[in-house]
Amino acid sequence: MSIHTFLEWLGGTSFSLGLRDSTYAEPIVETLHVLTLTVFLGFAILLDLRLLGVSMRKRPASEVLDQLNPWLIGSLIVLNVTGVLLFCGDPVAFYNSIFFKVKMWMLLAAVLNVLLFNATVGRKIKQWEMDYSTPGRVKAAAIVSLVLWIAIIATGRAIAYSLPPP
Amino acid sequence: MSGISETVMSFCQWASNSSFGHGVRNSAWLFPFVEIFHLLALGLLGGTVLIVNLRLLGVRFQKGPVSELARDVQPLMVGSLVVILVSGFFLFSSEAVKMFGNGPFRIKMIFLVLAMLYTFTVYRKVTMSDESEISPAFRKLAAVLSLVLWFGVGLAGRAIGII
Repeated sequence: MSIHTFLEWLGGTSFSLGLRDSTYAEPIVETLHVLTLTVFLGFAILLDLRLLGVSMRKRPASEVLDQLNPWLIGSLIVLNVTGVLLFCGDPVAFYNSIFFKVKMWMLLAAVLNVLLFNATVGRKIKQWEMDYSTPGRVKAAAIVSLVLWIAIIATGRAIAYSLPPP
Repeated sequence: MSGISETVMSFCQWASNSSFGHGVRNSAWLFPFVEIFHLLALGLLGGTVLIVNLRLLGVRFQKGPVSELARDVQPLMVGSLVVILVSGFFLFSSEAVKMFGNGPFRIKMIFLVLAMLYTFTVYRKVTMSDESEISPAFRKLAAVLSLVLWFGVGLAGRAIGII
């Protein structure tokens, strides 16, 4: 079964049609997606700025990380769930949008960046967390993170502009 | 009341007819481009406001006085607010006259003025002063009010596109 066949099937299910036809479903899910995004982005920027050694310098990096993490993870889960719901509302249209595809690839890259950080330099956080200038690799991870999340939001916004009218 | 209404309307017309009003309105990509800055600044503003409020509510960042945390994020909060206001003004200019009659937009502006007034007066006092001067209950109330006002701006802003 090809991707297109699957997406067309998905778009024809009563669940998908229900989302598409309902007046309130899409606006409510999208509002939740965007408001949660505000929380996620805000905290991600604050964490990355700490890793760059730009903000909250007197606080150990591990403290900033530990305090923000639950909210970052929680909001990311909500973003994914609402994102999947939004996608189900019009699978074929989203899949056909180049902005959607680019956004998904960058999302994958952003997640890999986080995992890589946690597996390498992040492990030794206690060693460098009070340094005046954080290690180069930490800064690199923070910059990649910032660039990707900003680009993800930009492409996400572009999706709405690029979708065909209902 | 109609005097104020007329003044506001002339302001909207001035903004709409200005070169930047025309510029954003007539360009295919300028509106989304400016909007991205508006959204990113919104994210950062939300983060700084939320982080201090969570501290006031006693949920996060308990180590150290609230004033230290507030001072840390102050430049980020002010910076993002400036970007939001400037980008918001450009977005507004592109359809200012239409916004004049838009219910959610008016509500958003009211909440925005209230939120800014509150944040730079009462809220500033609560976050910047010594812990011992403010009761925990009042601190929590201050946090809730901050969240309600800013959330109101965000929600009304979202409604502009829908209603």
